[in-house]
Amino acid sequence: MSEKAELDTNSNVSIDVSDMSHHDKPTLQDNPISRKIDQIINLIGQLFSWLWLVLLFVIIGNVILRYAFSQGMIELEELQWYLYAAAWLVGLSYTFIADDHVRVDVILERLGFKAQMWIELFGLLLLFLPFVLFILYFSVSFVELSWVTSETSTSANGLSARWLIKGCLWFSFFLLFLVGISRLLRVIASIKKGPASDGVIQVGGLKQ
Amino acid sequence: MITDPAQYMAIALFITFIVLIFTGYPVAWLMGGLAVIFTAISVFSDTHLDTFFGVDWGYSSIVVARIYAVMNNWVLVALPMFVFMGIMMDKSGVAEDLMTDLTKLFGRVRGGLAITVVLIGVLLAASTGIIGAAVVLLAVLGVPLMLKHQYDAALACGVVCATGTLGILIPPSIMLVLMADQIRVSVGDLFMGAVFPGLMLGLLYALFILVYAWLRPSVAPAPKDAEPVSLKLWLNVLKSTIPPAGLIIAVLGSIFMGIATPTEASGVGALGAMLLALARRRLSFAGLQEVLQNTMKTTSYIFALFVGATAFSLVLRGFGGDELIESALTSLPFGPYGVVAIILLVTFLLGFVLDWIEITLIILPLIAPVLANMGIDLVWFAVLFAVCLQTSFITPPVGFALFYMKGVAPKGIDTMTIYRGIIPFMIIQLIGVAIIFFFPLIVTWLPKVAYGP
Repeated sequence: MSEKAELDTNSNVSIDVSDMSHHDKPTLQDNPISRKIDQIINLIGQLFSWLWLVLLFVIIGNVILRYAFSQGMIELEELQWYLYAAAWLVGLSYTFIADDHVRVDVILERLGFKAQMWIELFGLLLLFLPFVLFILYFSVSFVELSWVTSETSTSANGLSARWLIKGCLWFSFFLLFLVGISRLLRVIASIKKGPASDGVIQVGGLKQ
Repeated sequence: MITDPAQYMAIALFITFIVLIFTGYPVAWLMGGLAVIFTAISVFSDTHLDTFFGVDWGYSSIVVARIYAVMNNWVLVALPMFVFMGIMMDKSGVAEDLMTDLTKLFGRVRGGLAITVVLIGVLLAASTGIIGAAVVLLAVLGVPLMLKHQYDAALACGVVCATGTLGILIPPSIMLVLMADQIRVSVGDLFMGAVFPGLMLGLLYALFILVYAWLRPSVAPAPKDAEPVSLKLWLNVLKSTIPPAGLIIAVLGSIFMGIATPTEASGVGALGAMLLALARRRLSFAGLQEVLQNTMKTTSYIFALFVGATAFSLVLRGFGGDELIESALTSLPFGPYGVVAIILLVTFLLGFVLDWIEITLIILPLIAPVLANMGIDLVWFAVLFAVCLQTSFITPPVGFALFYMKGVAPKGIDTMTIYRGIIPFMIIQLIGVAIIFFFPLIVTWLPKVAYGP
């Protein structure tokens, strides 16, 4: 029965799926501004993550309506993609703070801390921030048009506030801009002062 | 082959992308940023250097509308729900219980433990579909156990890595949802097409283990202290198998029989997984919060890539990248099936540097219309493509499954052991691709039967 015992000790291992894309991360420096931004975005992200549960129940509600009462509701179907879009859009910045966006770090993890920070700095200035500003700029007119014409759903019984969900697109990129600035501050501070600590080494998502 | 100077820009864009991927900067933002930079280069060059690349800010700003199209894509709503279902299943601890019971059931057979891993892998594949989670879970549960029973370490690692990646193929799989959206076939069709190829691969793994253990008993010996198989054991196995298997059958069955849309089925699956975790007393309030936040992170990293790839593809097309691919593919002298073979080979090679998400979002929409024109069945092709991408997870040196494996492997297992263990399974994958290639019926049979004559 030793087998059973062995398995029991193993069965309590919790596996953090989202935590496995990177191997070890030295901690970045932070400052009051970046700390505040990260706090706010984390809070917003955690709040919005409940939308997934709401979405689940909206889908179930729709299924019940459709099969038990054979009544489809366009409003509920539209609500589904409203919720889904709002949740992942806001999740972009939440994921950014957690540094969970996919990287190919075969070379990166062999570089020293300074070199990593320089790559991060160039990435932010040349790639990330230009892209975010680009989308922010061009989505203004996109949202504006919807707002001015008080655009509604194209289906008869659809939801009315189309500008709201389009506004969500702008809002999410505004959040991305904020976290980008926060990270920029942290990266610059880290280049000046070195890592905040030696960095806790996490292997494959299992804290050892 | 190049008909327009702008196509040099398309090539430059793609090569820059591949090279800069190795800086380790997040791939999503790399794609988005390059789209902006190359638009700027094109605008500058067209106004000052008398070129005519034709991509300007007005053109590239279409990306906003494209992102909106992703937002109001009703089919993709299924994706986060399947992610939720997978993470919740993981939380419910079903896999651990199965491992305990199945090990006893198969314990007396040579190679039985490895077969157990394959069986659980297939079941996990149908429920989670998240490679990282499956590989880590199987490695943590299975590898120490197999090593304890004097299994060959390389074999143990190989089995875990290979079966862990089945999740991307066996429906409901988030990859198939994404592919269906990109090539405009129904999610149900793709799910149906992938069922038998996925099971076939699992079967091939199991066959290999049996034969290998029979030829060389020392790599996978039968345990000496195995307890006899009792009725109680059978009941236990049934008790831990039926809930997850029932859930999977309900989700897939309702899609296949056309009762529910994939989105509806995904919602029901997510709810079922949550109830399962609740019933097994594995779900607390904090646990639910954790599952929701992990769902958020996994979903958002996929959609970040979606946003980046949308911008990247738009600019790539602006430079005529699509015509370039089309003329390259149609000028190949091998006929439609030769073209498919070449594409699979290139995909396999790209898999060394690119993730399945980028390949699905950038490459697939470029080649799918060309293949459709050649009369290739897109469902069949997508499944082949999917097996190819699955293989790229286990090819050293950049196979993600191998990274995950390395991360949780017990002490004393080095990288070379893992590499050595995965080789036979890579060969099995190739055999699998060949079987699907020469016997398309494996893919097309189920959808055909489901729709009737």
